[in-house]
Amino acid sequence: MSTEKKSLWKDLMDLPKNIYRSIFRNPLPASDRGRAATSFTNFFLHIQPVRVNKRTLRPSYTMGLGLISFFLFVILAVTGVLLMFYYVPSTTQAYDRMLDLRSSVAFGVILRNMHRWAAHAMVAVVFLHMCRVFLTGSYKAPREFNWNIGVGLFLLTLFSSFTGYLLPWDQLAFWAITVGTSIAGYAPLIGHQLQFLLLGDATVGQEALLRFYVLHVVVLPIALVLLVAVHFWRIRKDGGLARPEPSELPAPAAVVAPAGEVVAALPARRFAIQGLVKGPLVKVGTLDDDTVFSWPNLLIAELFVLLLTVAGLMAVSLFFNAPLEHPVNVMHPPNPAKAPWYFLGLQEQVSYSAFWGGVGVPAIELLLLVLVPYIDRSKEGVGRWFARQRVWANTLFLTFVLVNIVLIVIGTFFRGANWQFVSPF
Amino acid sequence: MGAAPKAIEPAETQVPRRQFLMWLSSVGVVGSALAAIFSTFVFMKPRATYGQPNRFRIGRPEEFPTGARIAIDTKRVCIVRDGDKLAAISTTCTHLGCIVAPSATGFHCPCHGSQFDVDGNVTGGPAPKALPWYLVTITPSGELEVDKDTEIQMGTYLSV
Ligand code: HEM
Ligand code: FES
Repeated sequence: MSTEKKSLWKDLMDLPKNIYRSIFRNPLPASDRGRAATSFTNFFLHIQPVRVNKRTLRPSYTMGLGLISFFLFVILAVTGVLLMFYYVPSTTQAYDRMLDLRSSVAFGVILRNMHRWAAHAMVAVVFLHMCRVFLTGSYKAPREFNWNIGVGLFLLTLFSSFTGYLLPWDQLAFWAITVGTSIAGYAPLIGHQLQFLLLGDATVGQEALLRFYVLHVVVLPIALVLLVAVHFWRIRKDGGLARPEPSELPAPAAVVAPAGEVVAALPARRFAIQGLVKGPLVKVGTLDDDTVFSWPNLLIAELFVLLLTVAGLMAVSLFFNAPLEHPVNVMHPPNPAKAPWYFLGLQEQVSYSAFWGGVGVPAIELLLLVLVPYIDRSKEGVGRWFARQRVWANTLFLTFVLVNIVLIVIGTFFRGANWQFVSPF
Repeated sequence: MGAAPKAIEPAETQVPRRQFLMWLSSVGVVGSALAAIFSTFVFMKPRATYGQPNRFRIGRPEEFPTGARIAIDTKRVCIVRDGDKLAAISTTCTHLGCIVAPSATGFHCPCHGSQFDVDGNVTGGPAPKALPWYLVTITPSGELEVDKDTEIQMGTYLSV
C-alpha cells in the first residue's frame, strides 16, 4: 500500500495550496483573461465591471467622493457597533457611559472620535458628491432614477447623523434636538404629529432617546445599506459612470464582436466582455481602447482612496476630541441654542420666517432636486465638469449651493446670544 | 355569470375574469400594505406617555401672593396672580421649544431672543405666536391643578 500512503502524504503537503485554491479560484492573474476571471469569480469584485473606462478612473473627474462616502459609512458601521458594546440608551446612564469611554474603556476615546468625525465628514462628502454629479451632468437619462436614489441617501445620511447627535445626552445634544425637532413641528398639518411621533412624548426625554437610538442603530443603517446596494447596482446597469457622447470625443474605436454567437446580439459592451472570456477570442485591444481592466487598475484606485480616508480620519481623531458638554439640564438652555451645523442654515431661515424657512423653502428645494433629471432632458455636456452647454443649469445649482452654505456659515459663526448678529473675529 | 348557456368562446370570457381577479388581488395586496404601514404608525404613536403628566397640582393659592409671576421650570408653566385672578402661562417658547424666563417686561427666551409681554404676546424676536394659557382649576382639597392638555383664551383667569 505504499502508493496510497504516498498520495496521502502528498495531499497533506498540498493542503495549504488546496485550501487557498478552494477560496481563491484563480491564481493571481497574469493574462487579460485571468484579470477578467479574477473580477467576476470573486464575490466582492464581481460587483465591479471587468473593465472600466479610463475617464472614470481619473481622480480629477469623480474626486472619489462617492467612494469616500461609502468608506466613511463602513467606518461608521464598524466603530458604531463597537461603541454599542458600552452604550446604554437611558437618560440616567448615557452620559456616564460617555465619561466611561474616556476614562475606563481601552481605545474608547479614539473610537468615539472616529465615529463622531466620520459622521460629520459623511454629511459633507455626500453633499460634495451630489455637487460633483450635478456639475458633471451625470444625473441625466438613463441615470435619473439613480440620482433620486442618491437624494434618498442624502436624506438618510442627514437623519442618521441627526439621530446620533442626541445619544451622548449632554447639553449640546439635548438642545440641538429640541430645536431640530421643533423645526419639524412647523410642517403644516402633520408637523405636530411628526414631532410627537419622533419624540414619543411632548418634549425630548427618555422616549426620544430610545427612539433615536433604535432609528440610529437599526432602522436607518439598514435603509442605507439597501439604498447603497441599489445605487451601486444601478451604476453598472446604467452603463458605468456617465461619459460624454462618442460624438463629443475624438474618433471612437469600433466595437468588434467575437465570432458570432451571443455577444453579437447584445448591445452593451459589458456583456461582450463576459462572452469574450468564454468564447473564442478576438484581440482585446480592438474591442475598446479607452477602457482598462478593473483588476488591478480600479482596485488600486479604490484601495488608495480607502487608505486616504482612513488616514485622514485617524489623523483628525488623534488630534481633536469629540465634544462632550455638561450633562443635560432641562432648565437651562444654552444661549444661543443651535441645531447640528448641517441644520443651521435651516435654523437661520426659520429665524426669518417660521413657515417658509422651516418648511416651504426646504420642500421646494427638495422637490427641485427630485425633479431636476426629469426637467432637464438635454443630452449635452454629460460627463464633463462645467460643460459650456450646461452653464445655466450649473449656475443655478451653484447659486443654490452657495446660498445654503452662506446660511450655514452665518448660523454657525455669526449668531451669538439671543441669535444676535455677532462677529466671530 | 352562470346564466344562459350561450356558446361563448372560452377565450372571450376568460380574459376579463382573469383581469378581474388580477385587479382584485392587486387591490388586496396594495390595501394590506397600506394597512400595515398605517398600523405601524399607530403603533409608533404612544397612547400613554411615560414623561411628565400633563395634569398636575402646583400647591395652594396662598403660595402665590398677588403680583407674583412664578415660573415652575420643571413643569414649564408660569403662574401669574393679580389680586384674585390667577392663570398659568406656558413657558415653552413657541419658536423652537426652549424655556422662556419671566422678565421685567414679560418673558424672554434665552435661545434666540424672542420677547413676550406679560400676557405672552410676542413683542420681538423670531417666535411666531403667543405663549398659550392653560386651564387652572381648584381641586376639592383646595389645591390648584394645571391641565396642559387644555389651552384657554388668553386673559381667562381663575378667581381665587
Ligand atoms: C450614502 C451616500 C452615497 C454613497 C455611498 C454614494 C456612492 C457612489 C459611488 C461610489 C459612485 C461611483 C462614482 C463616484 O465615486 O463618484 C456614485 C455615483 C453616483 N451617485 Fe452616489 N453615493 C451617495 C449619495 C448620492 C447622492 C446624494 C446623489 C445625488 C443626489 C448620488 C447620485 C449619484 C449618481 C447619479 C451617480 C452616477 C454618476 C455617474 O454616472 O457619473 N449619490 N455614488
Ligand atoms: S426657542 Fe425661543 S427664541 Fe428660539
